[in-house]
Amino acid sequence: MKTVTIMIALIILLFLIYLCQPKSRKMFILNLLSQVKYLIPRYFT
Amino acid sequence: MNDYDVIIIGAGCGGLSSGALLSNQGRKVLVIEQSEQVGGCCSTFEKQGYKIDIGASIIEFPQVIDLCFKRMGTSFYDEVDLIPVDPTFSAILHDGSKITYPISLEETKKQIEKISPKDAKGWEEYSKKIQGFLDAALEGFFVSPAGNLTDVIKLFAKTPALLKYNRLFFSSYEGIMRKYFKNAKILESFSFHSFYAGLPPALLPGHFAMLPYAEHAGIYYSKGGMIGIPRGLQSCGERSNMEVKLNTLVKKILIKNKKVKGVMLDDGTEITTNLVISNINAKKMYFEMVGEEHLPWLAKVGLRSYAYSIASPMLYLCLDYEPPLTEHHTLMTRPMDKTNDYWNSHYLKGSFPKEQFGILSWTTKSDPSLAPKGHHIIAVTLAPGAYHLTGTTWDKEKPMLKEKIINYLADTYLPGLNDHVVLSELSTPVDFEKRLRSPEGAIYALRQDLPHSMMFRPSAKSRHIKGLYLVGASTHPGGGVPTVIASGMIVADLIEKYEK
Repeated sequence: MKTVTIMIALIILLFLIYLCQPKSRKMFILNLLSQVKYLIPRYFT
Repeated sequence: MNDYDVIIIGAGCGGLSSGALLSNQGRKVLVIEQSEQVGGCCSTFEKQGYKIDIGASIIEFPQVIDLCFKRMGTSFYDEVDLIPVDPTFSAILHDGSKITYPISLEETKKQIEKISPKDAKGWEEYSKKIQGFLDAALEGFFVSPAGNLTDVIKLFAKTPALLKYNRLFFSSYEGIMRKYFKNAKILESFSFHSFYAGLPPALLPGHFAMLPYAEHAGIYYSKGGMIGIPRGLQSCGERSNMEVKLNTLVKKILIKNKKVKGVMLDDGTEITTNLVISNINAKKMYFEMVGEEHLPWLAKVGLRSYAYSIASPMLYLCLDYEPPLTEHHTLMTRPMDKTNDYWNSHYLKGSFPKEQFGILSWTTKSDPSLAPKGHHIIAVTLAPGAYHLTGTTWDKEKPMLKEKIINYLADTYLPGLNDHVVLSELSTPVDFEKRLRSPEGAIYALRQDLPHSMMFRPSAKSRHIKGLYLVGASTHPGGGVPTVIASGMIVADLIEKYEK
C-alpha cells in the first residue's frame, strides 16, 4: 500500500513538473513519450 | 562463383561511398541505380541550359567527407572542384531585418554583438561547447556503428568525451539554443537550421545544435552543381573497377535460408552475390524487396512504426536578372515558436500556405557557369510539406501554388521576380517520390528524433538477413550528405570485419 502511495505521489509530482514546462519542452517530452512503446520493436530492425 | 562480391542498390552518396571504399579493398562491386544519374538528393539536372540542384545546395562538415576520400589515398579537395562559400548565410527575419554570419567565428561574434552583447558572450560559450562535442563526435559518433546496445557502449567507450555532452542528446535543439542565446532576433536567425535535420526546433534532439556552428568550419559548393560530390566518389570507385549501372531497377533481393543470394532486376535478370548493400529507404527495402516472410514479427512491428522524415517541396527558378540577394544561402525565417506552430498547425494537418519560409539558394552566385551568361538560378527550399494534403492533392494544387509562391516571393524577398522568371518548376513531395523513389518524398528517409536514432534506427548490418547491409539516411548516423557518406564508411568497415 505504501509503495502504491509513493508511486502515485511520484506520478502526480512528475505531471505537475510537466505542466510547469514551456510549450516547446512539452512538445519534446510528449513526442518522446508517444514513441516509448515502439522502442523495443525498433531495436530489432 | 558469384557475378559480383558486392551489389549496391542505389547510387546515392551512401551507396557510392561504400562502393568506392569496398572496390578500393579489392572487391568486385556493382552499383545499380534506377535513375539516369548518380547522387539521389545530392544531384543536379539540366534543363534548357540551366544546371539545377535537386535538393542539397551546400556542403557542410567537409572534414567528414574528406575522411572517406582519405581512406582511398586521396582527398575531397583533390577529387571535387570546391568553391568556398563565405558568409555562411544571411537570415531575413519575419520583420524584414537581416543578419549575416561570416565564416569567421570572431566576425560572427561581432555581428551578434551589434544586436545583443549578451548573446555575443553566449556565442563564445556555445562555440566552445559545440567544438568540444564535434571533436569527440568526429572520432566516434559519425564513423562508428550504432546498431545495437553493444555498438553504442563501444562507441561511448571509444570516445568517452562524448559522455560529457550527454545533455545535448536529451534536450531539444531549441532548448540548447535558448540556453546560449536570449535575443529574439538571434534565436530566430537560427530557427530554420532545425529543418536541416527534418524537425522543428522543439522536436529535434539537442546534438543537432551543432548545425549552425559547423558551418563555420567552412562550407563549399561544388563547381558544376552538387552532383560533383557523388561523381567524385564514383570516379574514385571506378578507378578500382567499381561498375555503375544507371536506369536499372532492382525488384527483389534474393534470399535463401536467411542469406543473401543476389538481386533480381525489373526485367527478371538475376545477378548473384553474397553481399547486398541497400542505399534506399529501409522500410521500402525490407517490405518490398526482402519480403515480410523473411522478417520476424517484432522487426515488422518496428519497421511499420517508423515515421517517414519530412518532404521538402522545392521551387526551382531560372532568371534573366541578378536577384536582389547578397549570399549563396539566404534563410527566410520565422521566430522559433512560430516555426514550431507551423509544424503543428500546417505540416501535421496537411495544409501548405503560400506564405513561405525556407532557404533561397542562389547557386549562380558561387558558380555563374550553371546558367547562360547574365542568367541566374535560385533553388528555393520551401517549408516542409506533408505528403498527404487535407482535402486536395499536390498534383491538383501544383500549378496554382507555384504562381502563388512566386507572387509571394516577389512581394517579399525577391522584388522584380515576376518579370524575370524564364523557367520555373515546383517539385512537390509526390514529384520527389517519383524522381527518387523515396516513399512519401522523404528527404531523410526516416524521422530524426531520439526514438528514431542510433540503435532505434534500422541497423547498418541487418539483424535478420546475412549479407545484407544498409547505408544512407535510413541508418545511423542519419540523413544529410556528410552523414550518409559516413554511413558508407561504417558499412565498409563492417564488411571488412565480418565478410572476409
